[in-house]
Amino acid sequence: MVQLRPRASRAPASAEAMVDEGQPASEEEEAEHGLLLGQPSSGAAAEPLEEDEEGDDEFDDEAPEELTFASAQAEAREEERRVRETVRRDKTLLKEKRKRREELFIEQKKRKLLPDTILEKLTTASQTNIKKSPGKAKEVNLQKKNEDCEKGNDSKKVKVQKVQSVSQNKSYLAVRLKDQDLRDSRQQAAQAFIHNSLYGPGTNRTTVNKFLSLANKRLPVKRAAVQFLNNAWGIQKKQNAKRFKRRWMVRKMKTKK
Amino acid sequence: MGEFKVHRVRFFNYVPSGIRCVAYNNQSNRLAVSRTDGTVEIYNLSANYFQEKFFPGHESRATEALCWAEGQRLFSAGLNGEIMEYDLQALNIKYAMDAFGGPIWSMAASPSGSQLLVGCEDGSVKLFQITPDKIQFERNFDRQKSRILSLSWHPSGTHIAAGSIDYISVFDVKSGSAVHKMIVDRQYMGASKRKCIVWGVAFLSDGTVISVDSAGKVQFWDSATGTLVKSHLIANADVQSIAVADQEDSFVVGTAEGTVFHFQLVPVTSNSNEKQWVRTKPFQHHTHDVRTVAHSPTALISGGTDTHLVIRPLMEKVEVKNYDAALRKITFPHRCLISCSKKRQLLLFQFAHHLELWRLGSTVATGKNGDTLPLSKNADHLLHLKTKGPENIICSCISPCGSWIAYSTVSRFFLYRLNYEHDNISLKRVSKMPAFLRCALQILFSEDSTKLFVASNQGALHIVQLSGGSFKHLHAFQPQSGTVEAMCLLAVSPDGHWLAASGTSAGVHVYDVKQLKLHCTVPAYNFPVTAMAIAPNTNNLVIAHSDQQVFEYSIPDKQYTDWSRTVQKQGFHHLWLQRDTPITHISFHPKRPMHILLHDAYMFCIIDKSLPLPNDKTLLYNPFPPTNESDVVRRRTAHAFKISKIYKPLLFMDLLDERTLVAVERPLDDIIAQLPPPIKKKKFGT
Repeated sequence: MVQLRPRASRAPASAEAMVDEGQPASEEEEAEHGLLLGQPSSGAAAEPLEEDEEGDDEFDDEAPEELTFASAQAEAREEERRVRETVRRDKTLLKEKRKRREELFIEQKKRKLLPDTILEKLTTASQTNIKKSPGKAKEVNLQKKNEDCEKGNDSKKVKVQKVQSVSQNKSYLAVRLKDQDLRDSRQQAAQAFIHNSLYGPGTNRTTVNKFLSLANKRLPVKRAAVQFLNNAWGIQKKQNAKRFKRRWMVRKMKTKK
Repeated sequence: MGEFKVHRVRFFNYVPSGIRCVAYNNQSNRLAVSRTDGTVEIYNLSANYFQEKFFPGHESRATEALCWAEGQRLFSAGLNGEIMEYDLQALNIKYAMDAFGGPIWSMAASPSGSQLLVGCEDGSVKLFQITPDKIQFERNFDRQKSRILSLSWHPSGTHIAAGSIDYISVFDVKSGSAVHKMIVDRQYMGASKRKCIVWGVAFLSDGTVISVDSAGKVQFWDSATGTLVKSHLIANADVQSIAVADQEDSFVVGTAEGTVFHFQLVPVTSNSNEKQWVRTKPFQHHTHDVRTVAHSPTALISGGTDTHLVIRPLMEKVEVKNYDAALRKITFPHRCLISCSKKRQLLLFQFAHHLELWRLGSTVATGKNGDTLPLSKNADHLLHLKTKGPENIICSCISPCGSWIAYSTVSRFFLYRLNYEHDNISLKRVSKMPAFLRCALQILFSEDSTKLFVASNQGALHIVQLSGGSFKHLHAFQPQSGTVEAMCLLAVSPDGHWLAASGTSAGVHVYDVKQLKLHCTVPAYNFPVTAMAIAPNTNNLVIAHSDQQVFEYSIPDKQYTDWSRTVQKQGFHHLWLQRDTPITHISFHPKRPMHILLHDAYMFCIIDKSLPLPNDKTLLYNPFPPTNESDVVRRRTAHAFKISKIYKPLLFMDLLDERTLVAVERPLDDIIAQLPPPIKKKKFGT
C-alpha cells in the first residue's frame, strides 16, 4: 500500500511532533554518555522539516522555513538538558524528603526510650555484677538476654525478668510491660474459654426466672412466674412521674394558701 | 418479754459468690472451699461444720484448683498462672509462685504429699517438689496440644492421667513421656461438632481411669492398654466433677444440672468375687452447676454455682444414726456482715468491694401484735463507699454514735469520719493510717466511740484513741509468746472497761482497757467461738460456741456465773443442740439484765434467766401463749428460751432501743434470682 502523505490539522501534527520529540529525547537520555549527534540525527533533524511541510500544506503557499541543521541540533540539546535538569531536581528533592523523615523517626524513637542516664546506669550495673560475682554467670546471662530481647524475641520462651533496681534508694523496680499485657490477655482468653464452654452457644441454658417458674406451671392451680413483675421497666419514666407529682403537690399547696 | 416494734429490713442485697473448688483433708477433718471471687474458707467438719478461717479474695485471682499436701499445707492455683500457698496460722498468703505456663487449670498433690503436679493452658504438665518452706520446679512432662483441664495421680505415684479437650493422656512419671493417648467420643453413640471437654479424671489403683466430660458421660478406661472399658451416659449436660473415696469402692460425680450421682463398686451377684461399678444414688440438692465434689470417708460434699455447700453423710457409713447423719446445707455466712449504730438508727452493710450505709425508716402508727405498720419515712440509702484496689474487704464497723466508719483490706486500713448536717452527710478520710493495722480480722468501736479496737492477723490487738478528726495509737496487746494466734472475735463492755478477744484455740482472753493489761482467760473449749458479747451492768461475758453451747462468765469475779453452771449441769434441750446454723450475734436489753437476745439464721431467741430451764421433755418452740389460757398453764409451760421463727432467714438482729428491734432478712429466692443461668429442664406439660 502506498502511504499517502497524511493530510493533517494542527492538533494531530503537534501531538505527533511531541510524541516524536519525546522518543528521541528518551533515546538520548538512555545513551547519555554516547554521542548524541551521530545518531538518529536524521530523525531529529528530519522532524521539524516534515512539520513545516505539513504546516505548509494547510496554509497558503509559503516558502518553507529554512532551518539550519545546527539550530535544530541546538534546540534538541536544550530540550534534553532541560529534561535532565528536572529529573535531577526531582531526585534531590526526594532524597531530602527521605532524610528529613529519617531524622524525625530517630527523634521520636529517642523520646520513647529511657533517658540516657538510666541506660548508662543499667549497663554499668550489669558490669559491676560481673565484677562482683563471677559465680553468678546465669543471672548476668539472663539480664543480658533481657536486654537483647528488647529487640523482640519470642516472649514465650523468655521468663519475666525483673531488672535490678539501679538507684541507691531502691525506689522503683522495672518490669517489662509486654509480659504483663501478655499475661492479662491469656487470662482473658482462658476466662472466655470457660464462659463459652459453660454458657456459650450450644449449651442448653435458661433464665433463673423460667427455671423457678416450671413448678408453678404444673400446679393444679397454675400460678404466675416467680418474677412476674419486671421492676426494671421504665425506671426513668417512674422517676419523672414522681418528681412531677411532688412539684404539682407543692404548687397546689401554694395556690390553696 | 415486752412489746417491740420490729424494723424488717430486706434491702441488704447480699449475694454470696459461687463455689469453685473444694478440698477435703482427712487427717484434720477440714474442708477448704474456694469461691469464684478468690475467697478461700476453711470449714471444720468436726466442729459442727463451722467456718473457722477464711482468706479474703482478690479480683484478679480466679482459683481453678485447690489441694492439700502433706503437713496440712494448702495450695491453690488459678487463671493468673500462679501457685499460692496459704499460711493457716497467720491467715495470710505465704507466697505466690508463677508457673510460667500461662493460666493453670488443674493441680494435684501426689499420694505421698511431697510433689505437686500442675496442668497449664499451653498443654504442659509441670512437676514441682514441695520443700519445707517453698515449692521448687522440678521438670516438665511432654507437652500436649491443648490445655490440660484435669489431673490425677495413680495411688502408687508412678503414672498420671491428664484430661484435655477431646482426649486423655496417661504419662509415666519417671520418664515424663506420654504412654497412652485415649480419644474421647464427642457424644455418646454419635457425632457432634462441639468439642468434648474432659472436666475430671480419676486414677484407681487397678489401672482404671475414670473420666467425666462435657457430653454427660462417665467412662472407664484401662490405662495398661489405653482402651475404653465402659461408658455411662448419665446426664444431658456436662458432668463437671469427680471425687473418689480413699478405699476406692465408691465415687461421686456432679453434673451441670445440679444432680450428684453416687457410684459404688458392688459384687455382680451376692456371693461372687467379681465386682462392677453401678450408679446407685442420685441427689438433687442444687439448682445450678455442681462444679466440685469431694468424698470424705462418711459423707459426700458438693458445691457449685448456686453458692450452697451441701454435705450429705452416707447412711451406710455413719455409725450412729442420730441428727449428725442429716443433710447439711451451708448457705448463709457464719460471721456478721452488718454493723449497727443505735443512736442514729444506721446500718452498715459489708459487701465484697463496697460498703453501704442505710438509715432506717420510721413510722408513727401503732398497732396490735402482728400488725404491719405503714412507713411514714422510707429507709434512706445514705452512702455507697467503694473500696480502692482489687482486694476484698475483710471486716468493717460503724461506731455507735455513727460518726466513724472503719474497714480493712489485706493491704490497707481505712478510717472515715462522717459529719451530719440536717439530712446530708459528708465523708472525710483519715489519712496516714499506720501499717500495722492492715489485714485486720475484726474491728470494734467502744460504746462512747472514743476508742477503736483492731484485731490484726499477726495476733496483736491494737487500741487506737479517736478524737476529733484524728487518731492516736494507745497500746498493742501482743500475743502470748510462741503462738501466732489470729484473733477472730472481739467484744467490749459498754462501760469501756473490759475487752474480750477470742483466738482460735487458746480460750477467750479478757483485757483491762483502763490499766492496759490482761485480766483473765476463760478456759479453753474445744469448739470455736461463734459470737461474744459483754452485758451492760453486770459485765458478764456471754459466749456462744459452734456446738450451740452458751456460756456466761463473770469478768469481775473471774468465774462462770451460777446460771451458767446450772445450764451446764442440766444441759441444753436436744432441739437447741440440733440447730444447723451458728449463733452470730448476741445483744442485751438495757433495762432488763436478765434477758439475753441471740439469733442464728433461722430463729431468734430471748433467754430469760429468771425463768426455769426446759428439760428434754418440754416443748422448746413455744408459740405465744394466748391470753385466755389460765395462769397456771402458762407458768407450767413457760421456760427460759423464748424462740421466735417469724423472721427468717435472719442475717442480723439487734435491739435498737428498749422498744425497737431491727431484723435484717435475706430471703433465699432473692439470692437465687441473681445467680447465673442454669441448665434448661424440660418437664412434660410445660
